[in-house]
Amino acid sequence: MLQAQDEVYISGFGCITPIGSNAEECLSSLRSGKSGIRRPVLFQSKYASLYLFGEVSLSNEELLSQLDIAGMKGLTRTDLLAFKAFKEAVESAGLSPEEISSPDTAFVSASTVGGMCLTDQLYKDSNLLTNDSEYLDSYSCSAHANRIVERYQIKGPVDVINTACSSSANALMHGARLIRSGRVKRAIVGGVDSLSKYTVNGFNSLQILSSDRCKPFDSERDGLNLGEGAAYLVLERADELKGKKASAQLVGYGNSNDAYHTSSMSDEAVGILRAIGEAASMAGLSGKEIGYINAHGTGTENNDSVEAEAFRRFFDPVPPFSSTKSYIGHTLGAAGAIEAIISIMALSHGELYPNLNFSRAIQPQGLHPITEFRKAELEYVMSNSYGFSGNCTSLIFKKA
Amino acid sequence: MYLIDMLAISPQESWNGKAYLNNIRIVSGNKLMAIEPDYGDIIKPSQLRRMGKALRMGIGCGAELMKRNEELDGIIIGTSEGGLEGCISFLNQIVDYDEGTLTPTNFVQSTPNAVAGHLALISGNSGYNITHVNGGLSFENALTDALMLFAEGKAERLLVGNVEEISDYNFNIGYLAGLYKGEDSLSSGLIGSGTPGTLAGEGSAMFVFGRSKQSDSLRLVDVACISYPTKEGLSELICRTLEGKGVLAADIDAVIAGYSGDSRSDFWYDDITNEVFPGASVYTYKNLVGEYPSSSAFALKLGFDLLRGEGIPSEIVKKETGRPLRNILIYNHYRAKQHSLILISSDFSPEKDTSP
Amino acid sequence: MKSELKVHLVKYLNILDYKPEDIADDMPLFGEGLALDSIDSLELIVMLEREYGIKITNPADGRKILTNIEAMADYIMEHKKE
Repeated sequence: MLQAQDEVYISGFGCITPIGSNAEECLSSLRSGKSGIRRPVLFQSKYASLYLFGEVSLSNEELLSQLDIAGMKGLTRTDLLAFKAFKEAVESAGLSPEEISSPDTAFVSASTVGGMCLTDQLYKDSNLLTNDSEYLDSYSCSAHANRIVERYQIKGPVDVINTACSSSANALMHGARLIRSGRVKRAIVGGVDSLSKYTVNGFNSLQILSSDRCKPFDSERDGLNLGEGAAYLVLERADELKGKKASAQLVGYGNSNDAYHTSSMSDEAVGILRAIGEAASMAGLSGKEIGYINAHGTGTENNDSVEAEAFRRFFDPVPPFSSTKSYIGHTLGAAGAIEAIISIMALSHGELYPNLNFSRAIQPQGLHPITEFRKAELEYVMSNSYGFSGNCTSLIFKKA
Repeated sequence: MYLIDMLAISPQESWNGKAYLNNIRIVSGNKLMAIEPDYGDIIKPSQLRRMGKALRMGIGCGAELMKRNEELDGIIIGTSEGGLEGCISFLNQIVDYDEGTLTPTNFVQSTPNAVAGHLALISGNSGYNITHVNGGLSFENALTDALMLFAEGKAERLLVGNVEEISDYNFNIGYLAGLYKGEDSLSSGLIGSGTPGTLAGEGSAMFVFGRSKQSDSLRLVDVACISYPTKEGLSELICRTLEGKGVLAADIDAVIAGYSGDSRSDFWYDDITNEVFPGASVYTYKNLVGEYPSSSAFALKLGFDLLRGEGIPSEIVKKETGRPLRNILIYNHYRAKQHSLILISSDFSPEKDTSP
Repeated sequence: MKSELKVHLVKYLNILDYKPEDIADDMPLFGEGLALDSIDSLELIVMLEREYGIKITNPADGRKILTNIEAMADYIMEHKKE
């Protein structure tokens, strides 16, 4: 019989993405097929006029005005996005300040860019061209997390994970494991990333940015769109819910490494298959029970064909799947958490969100993602995230 | 979890095992640079050419250990910033070439999870793989992750380690933030210097842990962390952690304390060692390897070497009681904001363990 | 010009096990010989632009054009801007 501490529930969440400044707005966009990928308005870079991006519509000033963090210095856009989503998550879960700062509450976040979104400021500081910078402690991947720790007086375990594009999926997994190990009773988990010159130049140098809107799983796909956003979920042990309505249960997860190349995946999808297999095995599922897969689906040549191959090899038949990066772009460190929330929305509302911009399937797999919004009876949903250096993570949620 | 093997690259001659204990190097200046081995047999030239220092050290250390210990179930790394050299090279390119056509290697190399990823690649290991990056708690979070994986029954042997490098990026930023002493410093005068600032350090320490007891039964018993604590909060954490494992403060034979020579924050160590562990010996390590976020990894190597009875160099002694060493507590903080405890032992008995 | 090209190649790719003069003009760069990979081909495209002012717009063409030093030199002679 399962002990209470083996059951991990999601009691609340919050997110800010290119398709909405909170969970409700994001849901509305998903249902109406409204993409957030466009020419950016706020992001400053030579590439802002050359590529399309998933940009959050609120400026830093607007974000700051909605948050109760006056007086904090050296805040970056990454910090602001994180605070916004964190605030919504803890409010949605009805956590009191005492619960947030209890030693029984862990905080596990993720980011790949951190404060490096201030690329030009960082250049000056690291080349000793400044004198009085207020950003010296703002650049690391963990800076945003420790700002939140300071503001909310978090006394439990604090961790930040960076496994590139699978970072926040691993944050969710790690938070659940901390709960199951008995170290904590609840965990606030998620991640954040903001658009930065650093990443757009990095991805451009690897020649994997799309010239237009990304086309996940399409045979004519030509790359990804970068996006930004933040998302946090509150995970709680079953016996801590105290009558709160949970939106889902996290019942399976798997983490593995493809061990093939630093920036591409093996044709045999070794890492993906192992992660999916472990998650399914942990959840006690064969695969047939999965009603929807929220794919990693970046729209790059390599990822989508390998992921399609993995689906073909593991699932028979392949369940309905879509990549919601077609709405928000690739939000890097935030992707795992944002897409987990989207998966949970699909699960709890019983609906499937389409894969935008799709026309023709990749061969030889010939798999077609969902292309139109529809209602569906769902009991289990899977969310996948894969990152540079071969990191693969798979999460499975169950209807609560 | 139990220690099977370990290796470290550091500003001391730690690559050769325990020899460094009899030959402590004194370094002048405010940067304690690591002594790197010849990677010839460990990393192929075609891979080495792409690696900055952090990657070389982490992969050199990790790959050598993986050669000596096959069949690992996962790779868990803690690093605060990862491959910074690659980061600043790429950053400089962005500005110098005004976002023009740039070379990708620096970018790919600069991601903190590159060490764990490369180690998986070199060894063909598709098991659990993760990188923890919460500053001064990065390595401790990696240890906690490993402890949980063993308790979950999902691993028999794991590689756990850290890497941190001194590069222009982090040194300059740290320098601007007032972290370091001047260039006329000497590592032998660091502890008790009475002045603000510390010395920058770097290195990589890697460990192979096993789920089952080994012949010399060196055990990593528990890890605990807290952020921005009060002294009371920290003391409570220490009590809870020890109690949870059935250990009394009086059972601690030695504290390896992270004194960094920074007069602004070393009082934490004085307070805790004097008030909570008055009967224990007190040893230091940052006068050997400098200060950096995941330095507790070197402290762990030192701790295990001391438990093995390899001798106690006078340079690390702040207080010597002559007690035989069976239980050692490593207490460290990074910039007084992130505090951690690592409890290790050479004859721990599991029956006393009441924690989950 | 070929010896200059070899010096650039060794520098950009940080080749450790060959000196410029050890690289034969017809030594394969990809697959076997120097055994470079896809990231190296992107680096060489950058090198061509920065050192010789030549832009290869489709990265997939990189490996076809840059088969060995001889082929690279010919390509540069054909396309170099004055």
